[in-house]
Amino acid sequence: MTQSNNQQYTLVNPTTEAVIASFQGAPRLPSLAGTRLGLIDDSKRNADVLLEELAEVLRTRYEISEIRWHRKPSASRPADPAAVAELVSGCDSVIVAVGD
Amino acid sequence: MTDLGETTNTEWADVFEAVERLYQLGWTDGLPVVPPADFKVAQFLESVGRSASEVIGELPERRRQITCGVVAANAVMAGCLPEYMPVVLTATEAMLTPDFNLVGPSSSLGGAGILVIVNGPLAAQLGVNSRNNLFGPGNRANATIGRAIRLILMNACAAVPGLFDRSVIGHPGKYTYCIAEAEAETHWAPLHAERGLSAEQNAVTVFAGEAPRQVRAIGDPEAILFSIADTAATLGTSLSTSGSTGDRSVGIRQGEIVVTIAGDSHLWRDWSKSQVRGYLHSRLHRSLADLKRARVLPGPVESGDEDQRVNLVGGPEDILVVFAGGEEANMSSVIPSWGPKVSSTAVTRPIPPQSG
Repeated sequence: MTQSNNQQYTLVNPTTEAVIASFQGAPRLPSLAGTRLGLIDDSKRNADVLLEELAEVLRTRYEISEIRWHRKPSASRPADPAAVAELVSGCDSVIVAVGD
Repeated sequence: MTDLGETTNTEWADVFEAVERLYQLGWTDGLPVVPPADFKVAQFLESVGRSASEVIGELPERRRQITCGVVAANAVMAGCLPEYMPVVLTATEAMLTPDFNLVGPSSSLGGAGILVIVNGPLAAQLGVNSRNNLFGPGNRANATIGRAIRLILMNACAAVPGLFDRSVIGHPGKYTYCIAEAEAETHWAPLHAERGLSAEQNAVTVFAGEAPRQVRAIGDPEAILFSIADTAATLGTSLSTSGSTGDRSVGIRQGEIVVTIAGDSHLWRDWSKSQVRGYLHSRLHRSLADLKRARVLPGPVESGDEDQRVNLVGGPEDILVVFAGGEEANMSSVIPSWGPKVSSTAVTRPIPPQSG
């Protein structure tokens, strides 16, 4: 302890910490061949260009069987839960692209 | 003392050390702050009858929960009086609603400030300025309420410049950005009454906006509105970017705009706010040719593009008209929204009546 005439204060912390709930990642796919791929375009410029190229590569080199697209109306909004549910039920893997 | 959340014990010899200690803790906006001492935070919470642990909203993308205690601590630091707490709390709640989508305007390169507009009798009771130096310095309520919102953004919502706040240039309104409407000095319906509340209620509207651009005009209302529309329809604002005009498949792709109108209210005796909005909306557009020249929209300029107009706001209701500013001259301001409505929308919330 100091011997000065310091004043003691208790300050309330004005900051917050991220509270991250634990989650289990989806099991990895052993192979992409014959699987269905979902693509989420965040609607920023060139996100579609990037995803189209990626889709082509995955189709020709890895034999993806089917591709589903979802384009968000705004990059800063979360994806529509109904669209996410549809991708979950109809795809084996999903790729999200952030363009700009 | 009741539980106030996480606390830090500290000490200092004098006020100068206190100021430096708060800088060391990393809790400031760059200016000195008032120490959020436990007894002050408790006093602020008592003024609204809320407990520190009460969660008033979340920022799910950053996994943050915002409590009354954290809001109170930041309000103390900003230099607020306890009686400002209802405004600060309601503004915080409003900016944490899904419609406002805080993660967008608080992170974007576009660098939004969160404009807080206070309406209802409480504005005058608290002394929130609605006249001269509307966006300027010199008034405690405006300065500290707006600053509290910025400190909450930085400290509680992680919108720290260089971290989640990626603004390219930002603007001075990001230090503080709070105004009231001069309701008693106009026949116009106040903003909150136009947005579904009763004029007798107290309310806060939050709006993610660019900096105010002053519009100097003289003469009759039509001349003033003509100048406002011309200013609002310039290239280079968020309203005239590809994000706002580029995808017509989305119905609410365009943005919103706040317009403050000052001067002698008698000048507007033959105009309602609805007429003002209608006039402005019919002129808030650019030619397809200009948007192509600015590379906002792709492709070469073709014949007919000069005559094809692109609206910059979706409808008259997307123009928020506020009667505010000094009465000596017809100075107006135009504040384009940070982005299209689909990304963030102005939110108006009633301030609940305070018991006791």
